[in-house]
Amino acid sequence: MDDQHNETIKQAPLLEARNLTKVYEDGVKALDNLQLKVHPGEIFAMLGGNGAGKTTTINIFLDFIQPTSGNAFINGVDVNKDPLEAKKNVAFVSENVQLYPNFTAIQNVDFFVRLGGKSNYKRNDYEAALLRVGLQREAFDKKLKDFSKGMRQKCGIAIAILKDAPAILLDEPTSGLDPKAGKEFTRLVGELRDEGKAILMSTHDIFRAKEIADHVGILNAGVLVAQKTYNELKGVNLENLYVEYMAGYMEEATGSLINSLAE
Amino acid sequence: MFKLIFIKELKEIIQSSRFTISFAVCSVLIILSFFMGAQNYLASQAQYEAAVQENRKQIAANTEWIMVNHSIMLPPQPLMALVNGISNDIGRNIEMSGRGELRADNTRFNDEPIFAVFRFMDLEFIFGIVLSLFAIIFAYDAINGEKVGGTLKLCFANSVSRASFIGGKLAGSFVGLSIALLIPMLIGCTLLPVLGVQLTSDEWIRLGIILASGLAYFGLFLALAIGISAMTNRPSNSFLIGLVFWIFAVLIVPRASVLISGRMIDVPNVDDITSQKNRYRTQLFEEDRPKMSSFKPEGTDPQNVMQQFSSYMRELSSKRQEKIDAFTERINEDYENKRREQEKLALNLSRVSPASVFTLASTELAGTSLKLQNRFMDSATDYQNVYGNFMQEKTGENQGGGFRMIMITTDDQEEPEYLDPNEMPRFEYKPVSASMATASSMTDLGLLILFNLLFFGGAFAAFLKYDLR
Ligand SMILES: Nc1ncnc2c1ncn2[C@@H]1O[C@H](COP(=O)(O)OP(=O)(O)O)[C@@H](O)[C@H]1O
Ligand SMILES: [Mg+2]
Repeated sequence: MDDQHNETIKQAPLLEARNLTKVYEDGVKALDNLQLKVHPGEIFAMLGGNGAGKTTTINIFLDFIQPTSGNAFINGVDVNKDPLEAKKNVAFVSENVQLYPNFTAIQNVDFFVRLGGKSNYKRNDYEAALLRVGLQREAFDKKLKDFSKGMRQKCGIAIAILKDAPAILLDEPTSGLDPKAGKEFTRLVGELRDEGKAILMSTHDIFRAKEIADHVGILNAGVLVAQKTYNELKGVNLENLYVEYMAGYMEEATGSLINSLAE
Repeated sequence: MFKLIFIKELKEIIQSSRFTISFAVCSVLIILSFFMGAQNYLASQAQYEAAVQENRKQIAANTEWIMVNHSIMLPPQPLMALVNGISNDIGRNIEMSGRGELRADNTRFNDEPIFAVFRFMDLEFIFGIVLSLFAIIFAYDAINGEKVGGTLKLCFANSVSRASFIGGKLAGSFVGLSIALLIPMLIGCTLLPVLGVQLTSDEWIRLGIILASGLAYFGLFLALAIGISAMTNRPSNSFLIGLVFWIFAVLIVPRASVLISGRMIDVPNVDDITSQKNRYRTQLFEEDRPKMSSFKPEGTDPQNVMQQFSSYMRELSSKRQEKIDAFTERINEDYENKRREQEKLALNLSRVSPASVFTLASTELAGTSLKLQNRFMDSATDYQNVYGNFMQEKTGENQGGGFRMIMITTDDQEEPEYLDPNEMPRFEYKPVSASMATASSMTDLGLLILFNLLFFGGAFAAFLKYDLR
């Protein structure tokens, strides 16, 4: 797996932030001149503590908020100019996937996948995707209101897989999952990368980031303070690097350390 | 996309327990209101028939038309029982006299005062109060609930336009809930003939329009609630705002408009007018008193004298009556004008509330609006002419109220001949026709549509600016 991702990929980036700055109405500068590119077959991990600007970045990519200046591109399309066209090429899994509580897993998947523009799937395809993400067959026709967070995250990634968009945005997808589920989730993300997806994943979990990311960007108070490739990270003690850049976010770092040790 | 969201909305509604519960409650209430309306109608119909029979019996027991006390009744109508309007509040009985003013008395509440306290649960109540509240309970979190729930973000992570989302949402919830309401309505409609209440085709049309306007009324509250939920971030806030709006629309505005118009236009009160009339009557009578005592009969035959006196008094009385009539007409006209002006202002003020608009439209269509009283009195006045002519023909005189002189002769020994009640002309009440009712409810039906456009448009516009995060 290692060598497979060393070479720089010369293709056009699927996700690109160009000079992204976001100042909220209350004056908080959540992003400061952010630059990043994610190519097909790459995982870019945005590493940062609470309030670093991770969700803000993803919200701009999804046109939920407008950047104060700069642009976000999905597959070369400026999100702000043509959000509907841009969003055809992206799938999104949030920190806390929420689906319609009165719908079954299958009904939810069916709705969201159709909303994503894929209407040719059969139930078999939904079942296959749900099995792939590790949802038990018994849960397929249960209403979502009885699902645990882990099960919901699984549905979320299944929806993203079925939408089959070239770019995927993941906002702290493993936070709050138990270690086993987190590992499982990470494995799936790796698989998707191997299928050629461009993945932008935010996380505050340095170990998770180091494990699978091709690029790690350390985000601190809206500024991308460091950007390292997988190879560059090989010899580096990421913990130290993280702590170095993120003096204020020690708690998170130790928190995830404990988390990772538990695995 | 629109279709997908529309269908999702339908499914979501049907699968929610909130729907199951409110659907059950609404269905029971709607069917119950039809059922009770039918029962009510049948009971008043029986009562009406009995009263008519009583009247006929009374005629048949008499030998002289002059002895007959004839009264007419407002015949019950099925739609009156379904949408009560003012039908329970106005007098249903009119004591007939050949001339003079007619008075309606004996309201429904005289017989059953308990209903005056708690009122009936008619269709207008169910729609006006219960369904509008259900619309709010149903849709108060339509948008912000999805935001809090997190599904809004997941939806808009796709290539979905806001317009198709809110369009599908509005259409889906309206169609879904309307169909759900139509079912008990149709059951209620089929219940009517089953219970023995036959409607004319004209009445079916009116009932159809009433039910359609009920759905429109429900729809505007639904759109309102969705609109509020697309302007707030928290369901608890939108519920509160919806509830406040509901309280104002349903409970406050109609009453306040009557109060305000009462303040703005002064109308002399009825007691004043009555005492003015009475004073005038007494005055005229006093003026006539010397003439009465100066009556000089010609001849001495008692029967002849009696007849002369009678016709002399009649002449005086009818001259007095003429003056009183003219006076009354003048004073009544003034009063009526003022009252109508005040009434009109109150109605127009109340129309800022969709609830009043619905009440006005549905009672107009059911024939139980404020006009019912006039229509009944007009029918009665028409009948008064027929009745007066009939009595004139039978008794040789047209009796007004009050003074009546009867002489019973016992000369001839033949068996007295009893009256045939069939000879008495029948009172016909002309109910509103569908075309008349529709024409006069046009303004309010139009307003209902306008409110719908406004609220649906408002919800739509609000969502276009909604913060999706
Ligand atoms: N709607 C908002 N209005 C004002 N400030 C906000 C808003 N959303 C986020 N912020 C601020 O922007 C900064 C970045 O937030 P966010 O992107 O959510 O961080 P992260 O996802 O990395 O935890 C924080 O300081 C946060 O308080
Ligand atoms: Mg975040």
